[in-house]
Amino acid sequence: MISFEQVSKKYHEKTALVNANFHLQRGAMAFLTGHSGAGKSTLLKLIMLMERPTSGKVIVDRQDLSQLSRAQVPAHRRKIGLVFQNHQLLMDYSVFDNVALPLKISGYNERDSGRRVRAALDKVGLLDKERLSPQTLSTGEQQRVGIARAIVNKPKLILADEPTGNLDPDLSAEIMRLFQQFNQVGVSILIASHDLELIQRLPHPVIALNQGRISGSASLMGH
Amino acid sequence: MAFFNKPPTHNASRTQPESASKRLLREHKEVLVSSWERLWRTPLSNLLTWLTVAIALALPAALMLLLSQASHLGQQVNQSSHISVFLSLNTTDEQGQLISRELATRPDIAKVSYLSAAQALIEFKSSSGLEDILSSLTENPLPATILIEPTNASLSPHALKKMTQELRLQDNIDQVLVDMAWLDRLQSLLLTSQRFTYSLALLLALGVLLVVGNTVRLHIESRREEILVIKLVGGTDAYLRRPFLYAGFWTGLFSALIAWIILQLGVIYLHQPLLSLAQSYQSDWQLQGLNWMGSLSLIATSCSLSVLGAGLAVRRQLNLIEPK
Repeated sequence: MISFEQVSKKYHEKTALVNANFHLQRGAMAFLTGHSGAGKSTLLKLIMLMERPTSGKVIVDRQDLSQLSRAQVPAHRRKIGLVFQNHQLLMDYSVFDNVALPLKISGYNERDSGRRVRAALDKVGLLDKERLSPQTLSTGEQQRVGIARAIVNKPKLILADEPTGNLDPDLSAEIMRLFQQFNQVGVSILIASHDLELIQRLPHPVIALNQGRISGSASLMGH
Repeated sequence: MAFFNKPPTHNASRTQPESASKRLLREHKEVLVSSWERLWRTPLSNLLTWLTVAIALALPAALMLLLSQASHLGQQVNQSSHISVFLSLNTTDEQGQLISRELATRPDIAKVSYLSAAQALIEFKSSSGLEDILSSLTENPLPATILIEPTNASLSPHALKKMTQELRLQDNIDQVLVDMAWLDRLQSLLLTSQRFTYSLALLLALGVLLVVGNTVRLHIESRREEILVIKLVGGTDAYLRRPFLYAGFWTGLFSALIAWIILQLGVIYLHQPLLSLAQSYQSDWQLQGLNWMGSLSLIATSCSLSVLGAGLAVRRQLNLIEPK
């Protein structure tokens, strides 16, 4: 699903990623770990085309990203469900409208969109909160709304950037169970997290980043 | 895992059939409605923008209205102008009358009146008070004169000039005089006001672009978070641009309506003094308000300027907001 071949990224003088090689197979779920500043965010940004590599090749869903022009970036991003640490919900939108945003962008009509949004909210257990403002929800609930938004488009790949960063262990475990459920139906998942305690309890491969270099296992098998 | 496993069969049949053009139309309709609703979330600040744009539109529009009608007035006043043709001194009375009758047949001449040399002398004596000196002359120094009133169609300075040139080439005609000076003056005055108005209109159009552009820039800034999220979940530039272009359209429409009201109020206010002014020149000229053609072009100009201003601002501003 994702391949990095000799990927490096430099910001001015600072090197964020050095000769990164890894392969995430279709349908696999993996963790990306490392200290803050180790290059986790850079790696995710390269996949999302928020950044372009200084050298090397990034391939997502058989598409070499260097071939994509600026105008093709939106279509690429629509294929990926993105979950943020700070959930990035729009506070002047209702829960429903937040989740519906990716569908609206893809041009779904209201009826189809409504059905899909409710299915996604049902999946994360927030169907009864669709009319509320995200502001009135707890942190865990907000994160689940963010996840509902990431899955509403039924992406083949989900990227999560510290999805449990602000949550207590119980809520974190619950969020991870959600990701595992999605993975079981064939969605490829890459989760950046520094919550090593939680990661070690889960049976998924780990890509460890240290000062821009991958030190863990390089090739990740699906199950 | 019901959510992802939902069979695509009954699902796909409902999501697929909409054609691209139908979808685009529906999306535009949605943005039209949502941008309309957004207008009324900040009615006061919008009203201020509309007023600013409306004033910038009303000023040149009023001048253009006045000018277009003043040139009609100029043509009306022209009717008093006539051409004096002086015949050469050796022309006999019979020849003079013949020339006069010939001129009367020209299509661009409405009326001629012939004044013989003797008649001219009598008139000059009585009007100048130089009777004694003139009586002592053995010969009449004055030529016979033909006064010409051109037809309405040939009252333009250009037509008058052409007629004068043709008359000068005829035998026995010594001199042709048209009171062109004031006509030229009126023309230059109209041309000056016209150019002044156009320059003003151009500057104020630029002003409208900047005002709308700046307003849209602020709107974009205030929706920065939203734009970032939309970019991250894959919203295209066209999708992001649309609400702001529609906001520009609404600004243009409402500003044009306000400018229209300002104009009509101005016409009502000026009506009485202008009427007295025109009457003092024996003219029945009246200042008219914008007709429907004028009103439509006001709205069209306003809307296109506003959409253009919004478009320029959006193009610049959206590129500055990139997820980092």
